[in-house]
Amino acid sequence: MALEAVGLEQNYGTQRVLRGLTFSVRAGEIYALLGGNGAGKSTTLNLFLGLARPTAGSARVCDVEVGSDPAAARARIAYVPENVALYEHLTARENIDYLLTLARADTAGALIEEALDAVGLVREAWDRRLGGYSKGMRQKVAIALAIARRVPVLLLDEPTAGLDPRATADFHRLLETARIRGVATLMVTHDLLGAAEVADRIGFLAEGRIEAELIAEGTERFDVRALHQRYLQAGAAA
Amino acid sequence: MSGRPSLVGRVAREEWRALARNRVAVVAGLILAVLLAGSALLCVEQRNAIEASRERHQASSDRQFDLQPDRHPHRMVHYGQFVFRPLSTLAFFDRGVDSFTGHTVFLEGHRQNSANFSEARQSSLLLRFGELTPAFVLQTLAPLLVIFLAYGAVASERERGTLRLLAAQGLGASDMLAGKLLAHGGAAGLILAPAALALLIAALLGWAPPGPAVLLLVIYGLYLAIWAVMAVLVSSLARRSRDALILLVSIWMVLVVLIPRTLPEAAARLRTQTLTRIETDIAIHADLNKIGDSHDPDDPYFSAFKAKILAQYGVRRVEDLPVQWAGLVGMEGERLTSQLFDRYAREAFAREQAQNRFVRGFGAVSPVIALRQASMSLAGTDIESHQDFLDQVERYRYAFVQSLNRMQVEQIPNQGAGEDPRIAAANWKRVPSFAYVAPDVLRLAGGRIAANLAVLIVWLVALLALCAPVARRLREDAR
Repeated sequence: MALEAVGLEQNYGTQRVLRGLTFSVRAGEIYALLGGNGAGKSTTLNLFLGLARPTAGSARVCDVEVGSDPAAARARIAYVPENVALYEHLTARENIDYLLTLARADTAGALIEEALDAVGLVREAWDRRLGGYSKGMRQKVAIALAIARRVPVLLLDEPTAGLDPRATADFHRLLETARIRGVATLMVTHDLLGAAEVADRIGFLAEGRIEAELIAEGTERFDVRALHQRYLQAGAAA
Repeated sequence: MSGRPSLVGRVAREEWRALARNRVAVVAGLILAVLLAGSALLCVEQRNAIEASRERHQASSDRQFDLQPDRHPHRMVHYGQFVFRPLSTLAFFDRGVDSFTGHTVFLEGHRQNSANFSEARQSSLLLRFGELTPAFVLQTLAPLLVIFLAYGAVASERERGTLRLLAAQGLGASDMLAGKLLAHGGAAGLILAPAALALLIAALLGWAPPGPAVLLLVIYGLYLAIWAVMAVLVSSLARRSRDALILLVSIWMVLVVLIPRTLPEAAARLRTQTLTRIETDIAIHADLNKIGDSHDPDDPYFSAFKAKILAQYGVRRVEDLPVQWAGLVGMEGERLTSQLFDRYAREAFAREQAQNRFVRGFGAVSPVIALRQASMSLAGTDIESHQDFLDQVERYRYAFVQSLNRMQVEQIPNQGAGEDPRIAAANWKRVPSFAYVAPDVLRLAGGRIAANLAVLIVWLVALLALCAPVARRLREDAR
């Protein structure tokens, strides 16, 4: 299993954020974790990234226990935050090169160019500083970084927030490409339509645990109306 | 720090790239570099001009003394002699107290005059804000540039959200902090570079003493490193870059402006009052009266002195002495007054020392105080170097006056000298000129320099010790 949460619990003081969260994501699968504000989505990502230690339970990345070896777990993950935070004074190429170095990944120029090409960022923009980039272009750089790292797991935090429909569609195509390469993707989102379009499975997070899980079926994949109903129920429970 | 040099170095390199691409930072850095290089060149020029002027005046004063006509030696005692304090070579870097203490002393018999003609008295009040020397630029303005370059080092990562991104790439908070410290330590080194170049050139050309020049570099390097570490730490703790900047500028105002300027005032108020010049003269006069009156035949001290001299020469009356009695009394009087002068001068200096110790004690509160003291000591422009000059001057004054008194004793007849006895003008050339020996500052102020250096090191180590808890806090913030 590429990603596995088993009975994860996380308390912040008296607040119980996660209460026995259990789910898993296979290689080549896109898992959308839906939930309202404060449902524990970001905490779940933090636990997989090793940025927090669970109160109980375990988080595993490609069979590596995050709590016992967070560095090894992080080495297998590419993470794209909600607000893509990159360096404005650096070009796309320099951003990726710097962050790949910090991740101790291969920084070969050809690899970076291949990743930038894969995300469809126009070649003229590669050596321009990010100061003048749109949000969609930054998103592409962040995804290019994830691709260039060639890791088996992709964590996405509200990846389509603030993107226009065309950029969202481009982004979904990138996720399809990642899926074909066998990358396991966990995306936490509010975007029901986006999740319905690309996810293989959708988990509804409420009160710190998966309240319901739906699996894509047939050409319609998901019943959006049913999804919406589920989402509202999960939100009410949260 | 967990110590992954390549990652730490890469973080530092990116920080340098960010600084190099920040136009405002580059312009500010260039302005400071120009200011530093310009002040060094101007101060070398100014120092050489002052030194040449003092040498010229000293030569002129010596020549005028030598050209005096036949005279009674006691008139020459009161004609006196001027001496001018030569400037140390490193005074170009730090003028220290030279502008305030005066550089010219008028030497005469029966009096110990203080140094006069300080530039502070002849210049506008602006001088008290600080002369534009390399020391002033590095002590006061360079920390502002260090702050300006480093206030956003970590706070901007937090604001941008890249703190979390870095953590997600597997970069440890301690490695990130080490990289930022390395970058801003390096930037501080770059700020110091023009001054370092000036000092090294001066030392390599044999113009400035190499030991003090190198030590000056070390203390200023430590000082700027303290500011760099402080700025990065504050930046790591602040939520926003703006908060970090406000806090750091406040710290700068307290440490660089407020404390160093209020402490000397506090020292003067807290310590015993220093006697004024007139009060000192009255006290010396009273003490002299207690010793005795050479004109009073019944005075016990001078009666005993007379008896000793008569016995020494094997005569019964002063009129029978083979040397001039008035000259001998003059020599003894000079010896007694000089002892008193020395005592009062020592007491005054001890009071000043106590005030200085009080101020130095606050080096633990503000590294600027420790830096200034060490800088002046190494440049040979501190109050102790000035005191060393005054000591040499007083030794010379005593020898000068006594050599003239001896001429009176030996060359003016004891009896029947006439109404206007004189000796040949050639005698004045035999009086040696004042030859100032510049002190070895490491010997003169070694203890103080070491103490101030230790204060700076303790500051730096204490700040570096805070890096571990700050890194832990950063790890929490990355969540």
